[in-house]
Amino acid sequence: MSSIIIGQYVPANSVVHRLDPRAKIVMIFCFVVFVFFANNTLSYAWLTVFAVASALLTQIPLRFIAKGLSPVWFLIIFTFILHLFVTNEGTVLVELFGFQIYSGALIQGVAISLRFFLLILFTSLLTLTTTPIEITDAIETLLNPLKKIKFPVHELALMMSISLRFIPTLMQETEKISKAQASRGVDFRTGPLKDRIQAVVPLLVPLFVSAFKRAEELAMAMEARGYQGGEGRTRLRELVIVKRDWLAMLAFALVIAGLFFFRY
Amino acid sequence: MKKTSSNLTKLIILSLFGTISMVLLFLNFPLPFLPPYLKVDFGEVPTLLAALIFSPMAGVIVQLIKNVLYLLFTGAADPVGVFANFVAGVSFVVPIAMVYHRFKGNKSLVSGLVTGTIIMTIAMGFLNFYVLLPIYSGIMGWEMSDTAMLSAIFAGVVPFNIVKSIIVSILFIPLFVKLKPWIKQKQTAFN
Repeated sequence: MSSIIIGQYVPANSVVHRLDPRAKIVMIFCFVVFVFFANNTLSYAWLTVFAVASALLTQIPLRFIAKGLSPVWFLIIFTFILHLFVTNEGTVLVELFGFQIYSGALIQGVAISLRFFLLILFTSLLTLTTTPIEITDAIETLLNPLKKIKFPVHELALMMSISLRFIPTLMQETEKISKAQASRGVDFRTGPLKDRIQAVVPLLVPLFVSAFKRAEELAMAMEARGYQGGEGRTRLRELVIVKRDWLAMLAFALVIAGLFFFRY
Repeated sequence: MKKTSSNLTKLIILSLFGTISMVLLFLNFPLPFLPPYLKVDFGEVPTLLAALIFSPMAGVIVQLIKNVLYLLFTGAADPVGVFANFVAGVSFVVPIAMVYHRFKGNKSLVSGLVTGTIIMTIAMGFLNFYVLLPIYSGIMGWEMSDTAMLSAIFAGVVPFNIVKSIIVSILFIPLFVKLKPWIKQKQTAFN
């Protein structure tokens, strides 16, 4: 289990990596909305060029990006084939196994699967170039206005950071416990379904008990260091918007303006 | 002083429960006879435990953390699915915790699990019909008729949710019985 690399973050020192995570989140959010405005060849081509250029700018080897997309390849291809056989607009192009493939279907299929591809590619750039902890920090500051309506933004962000920090620790612990249980003869792999599900119980009991112990220790350690909630707390990592971020957002705004120029 | 300390501890416990949910997602238990899309994850177990030890709200928080973690780690490939998972978890756990906190005891846990399963299945049916399937068909650019959606719900969504809750229940009942004395002790420490 230790071989599982959790998360998708690929370290590098590209422009995209150094962008402020808040800027990245805002841009991705806008992109997701504006992709649906593309409606002709030119506007799709424009967005594709932009998304591919952004992906290249990250300096992440393409195979990592492709790996991030792997769970959705099937869906993209499925959407394409579905449109190919279901839509019947335009002229008949070819006849395959008794099915007629129309020109309209081909165009529709390409457009929809391309839109799907662009959405996934662009959103995956966030997790490829930003560490989970940076994303959490960014979400915290973006949600700050919600504090006015008493939404516990700080507490949730703190919980997220603690959870993230303990993922490797608890994975190791789970592995340790499952090995310990296996050495006592617990069998996770064979037997009837019900037995196999219940074999997880001796794995979970120590996991939960130790979570409580850890929590008590961590709470004590935090209070010994003077933690008293979000009020007036300073940060280890300050997020600052610099010129680079403004330039990136300006470029993004131009891309969107271009999209509206190219669509009809 | 004592109060803030136990609040902070509670907050950390809920975070760690969220982490356990996430870790359990990576444990793949090979389950034959089930189609591959039916991914069995025990992610709901920590959520359920938090809701029973503390309050229904605690369960909602653990579920939220679990889903945000998942979103951060899978690269937001399917935010709609993550949202669906959140709603499913909440509609499963909250009724169970409400029934349990009202009557206590092992019997109320079983009736809670049954209630939770029914409410979750109904809620997910409605959510799929009015929100999820229209969004998916919007993204796919494929119009789905009402009858098509209904057949997808009754053939896919309803059995899936029932099977999933049965699996979670099979695991949770013995777990809860084992942990019960310990939970009693923790509950007195935190209330």
